[in-house]
Amino acid sequence: MRGFTHYISGLAAATFFAALVGDLRLGILIPVIAAASAYFPDFVDFKFGKFLARRDYEIDPAPWDEKKHYAPRLVKVSELSEENRYQFFAIEGTVEDILARGSGKVSYKVLREDGSEETVTEEYNSIVFTLNDGTGKITVEAFGDDYEFFEEEFGKIEEGKKLLVFGYVDVGEEGLKLVVSDAPHPQGIADTIARAIEEAYREGERIVKIHNIRLPGDVYRRFLVHLDPPRREVRVEMGPIVTPGGVAIGGEVPEYRKYGVAKVSVPFIKTYPKPTRIDSFSGPEIAFRRAQFRGKTVVKDRFLPWHHGFSHSLTMGMIIGLVVFAFFKLIGYEHATELALASMIGQWLHVFEDQLGFMGSNLLPPITKDVVPGFKLGESGSGLTNFSTAWLMIAFMIWNFNRFTDPRPIPMSDAKLLLLLAWPSIVGFAIAIVRSFRLRREISELMDYYTNLEAFEEMEEVGGI
Amino acid sequence: MLPLSDLLIWSLAGVLFGALISWIPGFHIFNIMALLVAVFGVGELMPVQAFPFFAIGAIVAYAYVSAISSVYFSVADESAVFLLFPTQRYLLLGRGHEAVLLYLIGAVAGTLFLVIGALFLFPRILPPIYQATSPYITYFLVAIVVFMFMSEWPKEGDRGRTPAERLWLAWRQIFGGILVFFLSGLLGFIVMNTNLLPTTSAYTRLTPMFIGFFGMSWVILNILSNPPMLEQVPDDRVESSLYNTLKATFGGALGGTIAAVYPIITGGMGALIAGHMTSQRGDDAFIISQGVNRVIYYVGAFTLLFLPQLRLTRGAAAWLVSSIYTPKSYAEYLAAIGAILLSAGISFLFTYYLSRFLAKSFNVVHIKKLSYVVAVTLVVISYLLTGPMGLAVLFVSTAIGLMAAAFNTRRSYCLGGLILPVLISMTGHTGYFMHLLGLG
Repeated sequence: MRGFTHYISGLAAATFFAALVGDLRLGILIPVIAAASAYFPDFVDFKFGKFLARRDYEIDPAPWDEKKHYAPRLVKVSELSEENRYQFFAIEGTVEDILARGSGKVSYKVLREDGSEETVTEEYNSIVFTLNDGTGKITVEAFGDDYEFFEEEFGKIEEGKKLLVFGYVDVGEEGLKLVVSDAPHPQGIADTIARAIEEAYREGERIVKIHNIRLPGDVYRRFLVHLDPPRREVRVEMGPIVTPGGVAIGGEVPEYRKYGVAKVSVPFIKTYPKPTRIDSFSGPEIAFRRAQFRGKTVVKDRFLPWHHGFSHSLTMGMIIGLVVFAFFKLIGYEHATELALASMIGQWLHVFEDQLGFMGSNLLPPITKDVVPGFKLGESGSGLTNFSTAWLMIAFMIWNFNRFTDPRPIPMSDAKLLLLLAWPSIVGFAIAIVRSFRLRREISELMDYYTNLEAFEEMEEVGGI
Repeated sequence: MLPLSDLLIWSLAGVLFGALISWIPGFHIFNIMALLVAVFGVGELMPVQAFPFFAIGAIVAYAYVSAISSVYFSVADESAVFLLFPTQRYLLLGRGHEAVLLYLIGAVAGTLFLVIGALFLFPRILPPIYQATSPYITYFLVAIVVFMFMSEWPKEGDRGRTPAERLWLAWRQIFGGILVFFLSGLLGFIVMNTNLLPTTSAYTRLTPMFIGFFGMSWVILNILSNPPMLEQVPDDRVESSLYNTLKATFGGALGGTIAAVYPIITGGMGALIAGHMTSQRGDDAFIISQGVNRVIYYVGAFTLLFLPQLRLTRGAAAWLVSSIYTPKSYAEYLAAIGAILLSAGISFLFTYYLSRFLAKSFNVVHIKKLSYVVAVTLVVISYLLTGPMGLAVLFVSTAIGLMAAAFNTRRSYCLGGLILPVLISMTGHTGYFMHLLGLG
């Protein structure tokens, strides 16, 4: 659920205590602590945990310019090495030698939506030259659609011409080269994720941080990471440029540098049946962990591994309750017990509401050791479940304010008033439950499919598992 | 009550007045109305009973036409030092007219929601709910402020080299927001509780502060960023879906209603709450919901002054009007709803044609030049309303508004200028803080 949904649940929790409502009426605002407690798990995770968490691999397809905070970073040739392969940069320099101009045919594989491959052959024009920026020389290569754009932008390329070239770094037979493009090549992302999965299978866990690609004008290059267990592949697709609101505004990359595919030599499963989409705000962290799945050793993914840990447990709720009680008792707040209970319930409501989604939480550490899967009622960003929950909390607040006031501002029986106030939430939850059945079925089918994968069996025969 | 024909004429005069000034960046209808009253007075040129209807026309026009200034005259250069609003991004893509059309879709939806609600729902539902919840307004207000701080999304920090550096980069922005809030609050507290500004400016003492926070700082950013005047597409085309439109309308209406009914909670704060509650995403949905939100926040709040069983005074315009004449009859309430519909229709057409005109001739006058003219006008307005000390307040509040942009934090933290002193007053601590600051 979204942050405000949790927060308003804490606000509502406080109103169930007549003493706290009485304080609020007197202008004593301390009960807002219950709302802060309800939001506390996300506050801790997103303001601290996210930044302090371990990262084994950091994938930055398009490093930022230090000052402008967007890509591509303007670099010197001397700063580049093979480690920068497939990353997106800009270099400013002078054309030194034209090595080749030409045309020909290029063949490349294209992945269709159904997962099948097709080989496409196209005619292309190209140019290869060396660029010198004073710190060194690099070979620059432009071909296909990128050549057309390049020529449009700079006109005829001649020796001695000064250029600011964008592109991704690649490694050829003669060393480093810059391939003119408007995006990084997705192969680097796919390779690193595949390596992390294989290492996790051997070592137990690898955490990968994937940075997003921010471009000038506060827009982002979207890309999708698709883990494909049946094919034992990690596929990365470079998408269009999108606004922070997720609206695509064009800038599709040519097919020949749209996909990156890396084979994985160990079995892995994906627990959520959709690819990971990376665009605005920040990129995700994914933990790959060795796990047992229906009697077999596999690697499982876990999205945002620093999220939904101890902060999202019922144990943490008890600790919050104790701390709130101790602090407010110490400063002499008369209703410290009620406030502590409201704070604990607020935090528990957060845990329960998140449990309705996919990720689940480690509910009672140290008694429980691992995450209990969520009920899959809807995604955390679902407008329907968020609104239904938030509205229910608003209904509770109005209901409590009314029943704890004498004479009652709304002269109606408690049951009737609650029903009148809460019906939008009841309808919303009913729709969400009906919808969730379809999603559960999809996930169940996917898991069954994993279990019966031929790829899994083959590995057993050769002793891979 | 004046004859209907007179009310109609004064409403139309209000629309004309509002439409003529609302497209200018940095101008706010509340400031201009206050200036109008201060300079010309009401009662001589205009009957006092007509003033609420003149105001309704002007406010409706503002809710519609101000889309022009936020889309066309709030541009940033492509380096995007600061995060851009969705409307600014549309403009940078040559789709400013489309952004205005999306806003207008929202504004019309908001108007329909408001009119239907005002006729059939609000008179029945609002009074009892307001009665039950109004003693707890301070609770809601402080809760929203705490949530604003707790939920600030760190825009940087991901790329720090070490965990400590990442944490610092993230918290630098959060601390910046807290600083802006408390500096704004300090300024607001001084302006509200001391005789810094002349007593003759009783109704407009907050005006230079708000012009600085939101108007002047915006205009100065326009001047500093020296944005490119990109060619705009004047085609009547929008990219959205019925689902997004309905969802945005619902979210916008929810946020606008919360802001309209409860004091101090502004449209932006209402939008923040409703956006989270309905989990909105998408630039098109954001712009549509802004249209809905602003119509309900501005016009709906003012309409509450007419609502017979409730008669709430919400917003600076309502306070200004109610100091001269408060509508009393149900007939005036119905006439006000009619005036809203009429004004909305005219404002829609005005905004639409003005947007087409601007899209076709966008790069004729550079926004930098226009911004200089507006900056001078804002200084003159502040001086006329509040004298030389008003200019000092304008200077300080402009600096705070620019700080919010520099810290890459929410501009709405400047609302601390209103929220903090009101919270201090509501909790009975004004005297304590006066003493603490050595002011009394």
